[in-house]
Formats: sequence, C-alpha cells, structure tokens
Amino acid sequence: MNCPNCGTSNLDNAAVCVNCGRSLGAGAPSSYTPPPPPSNFGAPPSVGAGATIPNYLWQSIVVTLCCCLPLGIVSIIFAAQVNSKLAQGDVAGAQEASQKAKMFALIGFGVGLVIIILSMIFNGAVFMNAIREAQANR
Amino acid sequence: MPSVKLRRIASLAVVAAAGAWVLYTFAPTAYGFYPQCPFRLLTGLECPGCGTTRALHHLLHGRVEEAFRFNPMLFVLLAVALFALPSLLRGRSPRFLMQPWFAWTAFFVLTGYWIVRNTPLYPF
Repeated sequence: MNCPNCGTSNLDNAAVCVNCGRSLGAGAPSSYTPPPPPSNFGAPPSVGAGATIPNYLWQSIVVTLCCCLPLGIVSIIFAAQVNSKLAQGDVAGAQEASQKAKMFALIGFGVGLVIIILSMIFNGAVFMNAIREAQANR
Repeated sequence: MPSVKLRRIASLAVVAAAGAWVLYTFAPTAYGFYPQCPFRLLTGLECPGCGTTRALHHLLHGRVEEAFRFNPMLFVLLAVALFALPSLLRGRSPRFLMQPWFAWTAFFVLTGYWIVRNTPLYPF
C-alpha cells in the first residue's frame, strides 16, 4: 500500500510508513499511536518524528534554478528553517516554516511558468513573422 | 508493489532518454524552442541555473570543458543527484534533504554563486 502522507509504497501489513513514519492503520492493530511530539526542552527528536514535516527543499531549488529566482531563494530559506527547527525540537515552528516554503515555491513556480509561456508565445510570434517576411521577400 | 515502481522507473528513463536526444540533436543556441530563464528575461542578470541547457548539450557531446564554462553548478547538481539516486530508486526521499547543514549549504552556495556570476569577478 502507498502511504497517504508521502506516497511511499510500504508492505501491506506495515504499521507505519518506512519513509515518514506516519501510522498506516491497515493490517496493523489500530491501537498504534504515534509517539508524542517532542517538547521544546530536551533531546532532539528522532528521525522518524522529524521526517513527518516536508521541507520542500528540492522543490524550492528547482524553482530557484528554473522558474523564479527570488521566490525560490525565499523558499529555500524556509526549507532550511524546517530542518533547523526540527533539529531543535520546535515542531510547531517547523510546520509553520514548511507551509511558507510550500507557499513561496508554488507562487514562484506559477510566476515562472506564466513568464515562460508568455515568452514562448512571443518567440513563436516572432518566428512566424520571420517566416512570413521571408516568403513575402522571395 | 514492484510492478508499479518498475513502471515508474521505466517511464522516467524513457522521458530522460527523449530529453537527452532532443538536447543532443538540437543545440540550444541555434533553436529557440527551449524555455528561457524568466529571471534573465526580465532583469538581464543570470540566475544560478542559467546555462544549464547549453551545458547539458555540450556534456552530451562529451565536451566537459565547455559544459563547465556554461554552468559549473550543473556538475554539483549531478553529483547530488547521483548521491540521491539509491534512495530515489527505492521510492524514498534521501535523508540528507532533511539535514540542516545540507539545506543551509544549498542556500549559501546558490545565493553566493548567483551573486558572483553577475560580477566581473566571475572567470567565465
């Protein structure tokens, strides 16, 4: 079965997702409860608890390189904050940063895509004009 | 479900091969159908990803030096991608993406490279 949280395929009888640690329920006794979120004070959380919050890092890097540099950079900063806050045990802060990373990556992607499409339409028009002129001059 | 995963890998490989063929056959400087960098279009400045298409074209033709000249960052990206490949093939996101040092390094490297390549200091 695929994890509803991150889409990783797991064994059908798996209790928790091997990638993000989310409880999968099916096949396993439903008495399983995820470990309580770590408090702000004390040891850093385990990887399992930390990995449940997506940081959208690779998405923001792709947006930076291919679509919209300024918004992508902002998104990378929030993605890095997700990791730092998780390492400090600040789950709420990490979640907030995760939302912002996602938001800026999406806006950046949209803005970049619109500009790319507009420029392609413009390039296409210039190209067609050149062909038309070449035919007229012949 | 290995069949689903296999199909996913196979379709990715087909898309990659098709992309590589287009990049190999049509030089980005001669054909205008490649998408342009919106940031460069609007500001005239280069972003950290500018030149990747041209660099890939040269790399596919085995001209490593030219590829490096157009975008040295491509080699860093390829190294990271290679590093992430084992976990990606298993359908997991690589561990290092969740490490604070990796995310902050990515931020400083990309921002630093972006600034430096738009100054006269940049060697290429």
